[in-house]
Amino acid sequence: MNSEILIAKLFWKAAFKNKALFLLTFIIGLLTVYAAYSGRKNFKIQNDMRAKYQTEARKDWVDNPDKHPHRMAHYGHFAFRPKASLSVFDFGMESFLGNTIFLEAHKQNTVNFSEASFSTGMLRFGEISIAMILQVLLPLLIFFLGFGAIATERQNGTLKMLLIQGLKWRTLILGKSLGIIAVVMTLFIPIILATIFICTGFQDMNTSTDELIRLFFIIVFYFIYLVFFCVIAVLISAISKTSKAALISLIGLWLIFIIVLPRISQALGASIYSIPSKAKFESAIDEAIAKVGDSHNPDDPHYKALKDSLLAVHKVDSVKQLPFNYSGYQMREGEKISTNIYNQHYNQLLDIYQKQNVFSKTVSFLNPFMAVKNLSMALSNTNFDSFIDFQKQAEDYRYDLAQQMNNLQIKHISNEAKNSADKNHILDKEHWEEVKEFKYEPSGILLVFKNEWISFAAFLFWIGLLAFLIHKLSKTLKAI
Amino acid sequence: MTRLAFYSFIRSNSVKIGLSFLFLTGIISLFIGKQFIEKQKQNITDTAIYQKEYITQNVKFHKDDMGLLLYYLKFSLINEVPAISGLSIGQRDVNPSIKSVTIRGLEGQKYDTDLNNPYNSLLGSLDFSFVLIFLFPLLIIAFTYNIISEEKESGTWRMVSVQSKSLFKHINKLFAIRLALILVVLLLILFLAIPVLNIPINADFWAVLATSVSYVLVWFGICFWVASLQKRSNFNAVVLLSVWILLIIILPTAVNNYLVNKYPVPEALETTLKQRKGYHEKWDMPKNATMDKFFAHYPQYKKYPVPEEEFNWLWYYAMQQMGDDESLESSKEMKEKILLREKSSRAIANIIPTIHTQLAFNQIVRTDLHNHMQFLDRLDDFHEKLRLYFYPKIFENHLVEEENWSKFKPEYAVTAHQINWGESLLPLLLVTALISSFALFNLRKI
Repeated sequence: MNSEILIAKLFWKAAFKNKALFLLTFIIGLLTVYAAYSGRKNFKIQNDMRAKYQTEARKDWVDNPDKHPHRMAHYGHFAFRPKASLSVFDFGMESFLGNTIFLEAHKQNTVNFSEASFSTGMLRFGEISIAMILQVLLPLLIFFLGFGAIATERQNGTLKMLLIQGLKWRTLILGKSLGIIAVVMTLFIPIILATIFICTGFQDMNTSTDELIRLFFIIVFYFIYLVFFCVIAVLISAISKTSKAALISLIGLWLIFIIVLPRISQALGASIYSIPSKAKFESAIDEAIAKVGDSHNPDDPHYKALKDSLLAVHKVDSVKQLPFNYSGYQMREGEKISTNIYNQHYNQLLDIYQKQNVFSKTVSFLNPFMAVKNLSMALSNTNFDSFIDFQKQAEDYRYDLAQQMNNLQIKHISNEAKNSADKNHILDKEHWEEVKEFKYEPSGILLVFKNEWISFAAFLFWIGLLAFLIHKLSKTLKAI
Repeated sequence: MTRLAFYSFIRSNSVKIGLSFLFLTGIISLFIGKQFIEKQKQNITDTAIYQKEYITQNVKFHKDDMGLLLYYLKFSLINEVPAISGLSIGQRDVNPSIKSVTIRGLEGQKYDTDLNNPYNSLLGSLDFSFVLIFLFPLLIIAFTYNIISEEKESGTWRMVSVQSKSLFKHINKLFAIRLALILVVLLLILFLAIPVLNIPINADFWAVLATSVSYVLVWFGICFWVASLQKRSNFNAVVLLSVWILLIIILPTAVNNYLVNKYPVPEALETTLKQRKGYHEKWDMPKNATMDKFFAHYPQYKKYPVPEEEFNWLWYYAMQQMGDDESLESSKEMKEKILLREKSSRAIANIIPTIHTQLAFNQIVRTDLHNHMQFLDRLDDFHEKLRLYFYPKIFENHLVEEENWSKFKPEYAVTAHQINWGESLLPLLLVTALISSFALFNLRKI
């Protein structure tokens, strides 16, 4: 191990003689400060805004006077998606996800007002976040640092001398990699410390254990990710005849990993699995509902049978004589049917999305960038799964709210009421407070392990692959 | 001599590979654009079919209640997707090109989104604009970074300086050969786009072409300038790559973060809350409070008596109208905020050629934010037209069967569109001129 460390030390010394390195480090440092600042600022602006309107929406709800519960079911509520605290580190998909959803009876609304919908088109180039610097810029810096690691020695003829002196290839590769890692740590460690400080220090000191565990995994996996690039740089440098050739290969590799492959995998997924049009999606739901029972159709057999059986059980001959509010009962049934069917269809749609994304996820085995990107978003709670989790919670809330209002109607409203505008049949407003406020509970880290197993597997694969290459090349590499 | 230089350049394998790679991704990008256009067309066809089915079915269910029927009926407005938009998908993957609305309050429906997979948006589409903006510069850099330096490094520079009468002309010739080759690939892709995407050859097409050529010129200008510094190849490569990263990754992302934080849009959330309250609270108020406002908005409906009974469609639609009327202010503010964002980003784009090219492309092919805002304005008009058409029929309780329902087909929004040649090209040409003159200055004594 001693000779590896010696080589690493020599590399370190040589690297810091290079003035350009200081310049690059300085620029990346500056960008990190800006990324952290704007990430933090965005987090604050957005969450303050969303919290404000969440409170306002709740206040509007509670302030409603006495009225028919079905009016309240239509009044509905809003859910504003709070940004995850780790979104300061990795913006992930945040900007492409809506943040406002209106929750009302009978209808599942879309989540609106994503940042992308307000974007002028600049978002196409991406966003600068700490995660982006680690994912995109540091690998490039590593390649600049490492392209000459062995190729220069070969060009200078010093490589032959080292090997004659009995130095093993394996030692050389490991030592040089170690050297690059050491240099990169001078950036990585401050970036990570800053991240920890920003993500935990600002939140009035109540960071949850879950977040700390997430942060821990983020640090570990970014470290491994950067090590991959250090090793790749040394290996490419080792097989290249000249340092120029090594540099060109490495830059090409970087472009393929970061710029080209992600888009190709996306295009592949999207072209093989097609998303239905909204019109088709909605009409399929309407059709399915009509088959089971459409409460809007006055001649619907399902509701007719329901009515007849109710009348028979209660031994009465009109719904007005039933001991509970029939219209509420009917709506409760309708909400149950339509929600079930909607969820079925929505889950099918999500399946299509998942299938589309499989390409982008499995491409991680060819591209460590995608592995870290997916994992980092998942750990930061800024990926699609976190969004779906929010949407599901909002939908559950919507369903409960609608059914709670239906139950109030069934229990308290007389069958004499003509419609929900009937002022003689209203309910005391104290009931509105009984509905709990919507609060989004982010899912725990366990879900990340389940949903992102491909990324974890890809990391393992890359560790294996690079270890194998080091082993293999150590035997076959030549000095010239 | 020129011929020789040309053949010796094109003979190199890496040049052939580079050119074919660029050409191939260009062709792939066209098919990705084609797929996007076809998907949009399919959406439009589907919308027409289902709008018809939906109307027919509801007319059957609610044949004796015009007010109730129109509570359900949805009418679609389409923002046409021109064939050329396949070259630069822009914001159209996020912002829907079809909006289906009922005649109830518009603000509650106006911002509903389409079905889309955000993961796809995150990774970005591989459309022609991407190939041009991201990949073309890389090939230009690869072709030109060592034009002077390589000959110096290999020791042939002295020979060249002895043999050729003017070194300056010699350098120009080398650049011209490469420029010509790159332009051939560019034009090949663009002219192939005509049959692949069915693009009509009109001003839009020429504007895309001219912008693309200008963008290529910008990069040649940058490479020319770096060559004029007469440094070593490695230095040139690193400088040019840094410029690429600066213009394509660092500056646009940093500017984006800046704009997002500078212009947040709380007005959107404000609007959505106001429209809910504006409508719903009317249920708890005396009818006159709503009707007075409604009649003030539409004096022509004053002739309809204020309803006595508990529920009545005139009152109902008047209440719905209040949702829109009372959120109008914040809706306007939201629009102003978005336009402000647009203005700022255009101003910044003027000095950053990459952003400028993307925005100019989106503007020309109508996939930009401005086009979407216009579409939303047309949606306002469309919705108002429907209201004015149906309000009297509802208030007078017209018979459902008397209406010719088959005439309600999806309509196309007419958005104003013009190509501003100066705005599209000037920033790019000016940057090219400026940077080339620096280069010429450096090379004056060669």
